[in-house]
Amino acid sequence: MSGLAGIPIKIEQASGKLASGNVEPLLHEIGHALEQLIEVGKASIIDLRGVPLAPGEEDRILEFLGTGEVRAEFEASGLSTVNESRFPGVWVVTHHDATGDVMSRLIEITLVPEILCSQVEELRDSHERFALGVRFMGEPTADGIRSG
Amino acid sequence: MTLFDFARGPGMFWATTIMVIGIVWRLAGAVLLARHKDRSTPRGDNRVAAGLRAVLMRSVPPHELEKHITFQHLTGYAWHIGWFVTFLFFVPHMPFIESILGFGWPGLPNQAIVMLAAITLAILLLLLVRRIVHPVLKVISDFDDYVSTLLACAPLVTGIVAFAHLFPSHHETMIGLHILSVEALMVWLPFGKIFHCVTGLPLRFQIGAAFARRGVKA
Amino acid sequence: MRDVLVGDYLRGRGVSRRSLLKFCAAAASWMALPPTMAQEIAAAIEKARRPSVIWLPFQECTGCTESITRAETATLESLIFDAISLDYQHTLQAAAGDAAEEARHQAMKENWGKYLLAVDGSIPLANPGYSTIAGVSNLDMLLEAAKGAAAIIAIGTCAAFGGIPAARPNPTGAVAVSDLIKDKPIINVSGCPPIPVVITGVLAQYLTFGSIPDLDRLGRPRAFYGQSIHDRCYRRPFYERGQFAESFDDEGARKGWCLFKLGCKGPITYNSCATIKWNGGTSFPIEAGHGCIGCAEPNFWDKGGFYEALSVSRWGTFGTVAAAAAVGAAAGVASAALARHRQAKAPEGESR
Repeated sequence: MSGLAGIPIKIEQASGKLASGNVEPLLHEIGHALEQLIEVGKASIIDLRGVPLAPGEEDRILEFLGTGEVRAEFEASGLSTVNESRFPGVWVVTHHDATGDVMSRLIEITLVPEILCSQVEELRDSHERFALGVRFMGEPTADGIRSG
Repeated sequence: MTLFDFARGPGMFWATTIMVIGIVWRLAGAVLLARHKDRSTPRGDNRVAAGLRAVLMRSVPPHELEKHITFQHLTGYAWHIGWFVTFLFFVPHMPFIESILGFGWPGLPNQAIVMLAAITLAILLLLLVRRIVHPVLKVISDFDDYVSTLLACAPLVTGIVAFAHLFPSHHETMIGLHILSVEALMVWLPFGKIFHCVTGLPLRFQIGAAFARRGVKA
Repeated sequence: MRDVLVGDYLRGRGVSRRSLLKFCAAAASWMALPPTMAQEIAAAIEKARRPSVIWLPFQECTGCTESITRAETATLESLIFDAISLDYQHTLQAAAGDAAEEARHQAMKENWGKYLLAVDGSIPLANPGYSTIAGVSNLDMLLEAAKGAAAIIAIGTCAAFGGIPAARPNPTGAVAVSDLIKDKPIINVSGCPPIPVVITGVLAQYLTFGSIPDLDRLGRPRAFYGQSIHDRCYRRPFYERGQFAESFDDEGARKGWCLFKLGCKGPITYNSCATIKWNGGTSFPIEAGHGCIGCAEPNFWDKGGFYEALSVSRWGTFGTVAAAAAVGAAAGVASAALARHRQAKAPEGESR
């Protein structure tokens, strides 16, 4: 990355009418989904990368949504962050891959994003490992270090 | 080679070549025709001024015929202007124009051009229907009239279809058809009534000048 | 190993379900499916059997392999490579020489009729010796491997359409896979190279739905190649308003205006560059200021110049027009001479 920082690049931010025209409709869609959550209890997910946005517009949307009380992250083949926005019910979920690149960015309108919940499919395996772990807790292992 | 590649490549080359050969052939052939020497005494000598005057005066309907031909005249002007503005001021056409002239000019917003093209096409179709239905026009119209009208419509139809992405997964073919329709017009141009675009004004000038020699206002 | 379900295999490798869900959320986005389908996609992939994939590299630059693997870093897309059993891949496998060929024959035999054949690179027909593997020509190897394949994925524009080797004058006689194989389903994943996630997305689609995806008229998955760059480009409003960059680095270019006049082939190119983008969604050529070169389309190398706008046609040169005028003039002179001759011969008093 050596000489690249020395190249004077000026990125003109899309502003006003010189933009994709998709910011407002997207925000309206979020508002509408929030209404649906309240009235019918239906959760929605909006893929922020599925909408053509000019450079800088995604940042504007995220800036508008801001951050709220809950900030969660998990590590699964890369970092993922699950943050409630300053509007309860609207969450911003960002998935990064192992190199830190953003894989996807979703706006979830829900009480809590499902990906934060423990996965039902893994519970049986979890229970087996737990039971084994408890059973062998305190016993010396092959390398002399106690497990548990 | 796809239709698009053909239209942009050999199609345009041969259409241009045939058009140029045709125009020069007809012009040269007409200009070089023998003329009888006019041995009468000229009654006026302001032939150039008279020629120019004829160009202007014959661009509007004569007062006596206004009632009958004003509609044709106005709609004719309207679609000609619309056609040329669409061709010359639609920005995606500009690289094509620049490749010929070496320079271009600012265009008009796409939405304005599309509306103008649609209005032009509507007028052309209206006049075509009129030609088919009008008791006099349908008798005097021939193959040339119909082909020329259809070839004037074709670039507008294909252009609007391509611009509106009416066949989204065949956009390349639609643009190819648009270019081909222009090439068909170019090939027909020297050989039919559309040749009036070359001869029209010079002919009016010539009539004015010739009549002025005889002391008559054209 | 190959009869293991993908879900069990991933769990055995320590890949958590959340990792799979992350991948499926991205995959839903690539496939233009609603993001709520991520759970269903994950469930389908988990229940799928690990397909055997044999990857044959022919007359290619290895760019497609590089695109999909980015060998120096492990990314979530590599998860899909855990989901499949990649039994033969020159650049990535440890085996070489006879051992590698033996492994390939073994994998083909064990999975006859069921393996996925991935091909990158074109196949030279002018002389089979132009491109060989272990002394076997690409043509022979393709025909042999295709016989036992369930489906063929032609990766990259070379395999899908002939690509750069097939550019005029095509000295090696390069052809596409679909020019040679007519009796197997072929999925063309074109692009030079294809977007990495499109390659993995196609594999994910195959695992999710267990069948060949819906293909367009050029055999490309509609999910990724269904829309043109022009239709999803964020600079489209500038095209509509007639605001174009006239040259690189002019005011229009710096303001991010449409690149149509600088040769952008976006209107006739179908790919996901404008939505999925490149380098993990960082950017794509138009966003970086360069027009699309149409690399996912057949003959993109021969479609006029990269910097020649789509509306520019080859009308000739001033020389050829002058020559045409000369021909016309000659014809005009001849016609006039003929006409004058007839006039002179006509009896006195008759017409003009």
